[in-house]
Amino acid sequence: MADHFAAFSFVDRITEYEPGRRARGRYAIPPRIAAFPSCLVAEAVGQLAAWVSMAHIGFRGRPVAALANETRFLAEARPGDTLDLAVDVESCDDEAVAYGGRAMVDGNDAIELVDCLGPMLPVEDFDSPQAMAARFELILGEGAPPGRFGGVRPPTVVRTGGERGVSATASLSVPESAPFFRDHFPRRPVFPATLLLDAQIRFALELAGEAAHWAAGTRPLPSRMTHVKMRAFIPPGAMLEIGAELGPPSGSMATVRLSARMDDKTVATARLEVVAKET
Amino acid sequence: MTQAQISREEIDAVLPTVSATIADALGCDVDEVTPDASLIDDLDAESIDFLDMVFRLERAFKVKIPRGKIVENARGALTEAEFEQNGIVTDVGLKQLRDYLSEVPADRFKTPTKVKDIPRLFTTTTFAKLVIAAQRESGVKA
Repeated sequence: MADHFAAFSFVDRITEYEPGRRARGRYAIPPRIAAFPSCLVAEAVGQLAAWVSMAHIGFRGRPVAALANETRFLAEARPGDTLDLAVDVESCDDEAVAYGGRAMVDGNDAIELVDCLGPMLPVEDFDSPQAMAARFELILGEGAPPGRFGGVRPPTVVRTGGERGVSATASLSVPESAPFFRDHFPRRPVFPATLLLDAQIRFALELAGEAAHWAAGTRPLPSRMTHVKMRAFIPPGAMLEIGAELGPPSGSMATVRLSARMDDKTVATARLEVVAKET
Repeated sequence: MTQAQISREEIDAVLPTVSATIADALGCDVDEVTPDASLIDDLDAESIDFLDMVFRLERAFKVKIPRGKIVENARGALTEAEFEQNGIVTDVGLKQLRDYLSEVPADRFKTPTKVKDIPRLFTTTTFAKLVIAAQRESGVKA
């Protein structure tokens, strides 16, 4: 399957490895793609942690949905950059992996993940355990061939209501098919949480940008995301209702509360801190 | 865990931090997190929230709480067969459960009680007792 380990896989090679404890790795962002959002940088860190945790429990389970207490957006990564990834696993067993980590570009921090927790589910429900183990051996050894990621198209988001600069709701259409579904995951396609978060961040920035609070010549940019909690799997073709509420700004900062609902059930929540910076 | 030996004073000592931590995890007002509040029925907690709450409590109190073993611990010294049959808690199991969850109002124990519904009984105080048990286990004082 051409898209397996290609269309949504962001660890090319593990360069340092202490089983069950920590790892460092690399991912070369293909130069030809249009963009590599910060959420995908976070995805790369999470995937490195996933490899360490899956290997630790013999590929019986894999972390899927996620809790991320804090994600710090420190710098953007661009197509052509190489991500240097590092994770520290605090604990790992058949039930969950707790970890933190970071990604760097040219020696500078791009993103930092603090206090993340991934519940473990049976690998065989999502992928072939044998294929996963073989892939791990490959990236732990010679490394996987780089440049196989073809980019992702943001989902369609249509604003449906709210109050300008205060709150907003929108419909988000998850595509029926996309290459990343064949990698995430081959046996059970799931819309990646990081793609949902990326769409929610764009939506939150649009809302925050409407507020009159910001000083002239500045615009709000993401600073950190907290309280990320994924509550359910989002299948291909799902229709979500996303919401954003801008809290009262304090100086150059404000917090946007984010939510996503599917079939009248909350499937994801998060808070985004934005900071106004000169444009 | 011998929860029966946990004193009211011990619970009161940790309850404010436990309540604040649960409120943070669930994104609700701390005033809603009363000592008797059912985490599922009153505060809409789901399984992912339980994982989140335990994770946050571990950090707040610097202890290790065995995740996913709360129901198993509730069984106490009983074997699985003594505690439940075909997913229903036995009479002797229900007595053990009432002792273990002594903080839960008596009218919340249904007859029959399904094993899968045991987490519905958990309250803020249940988690306070888990923290205290973990503190004792690790030698940390409240």
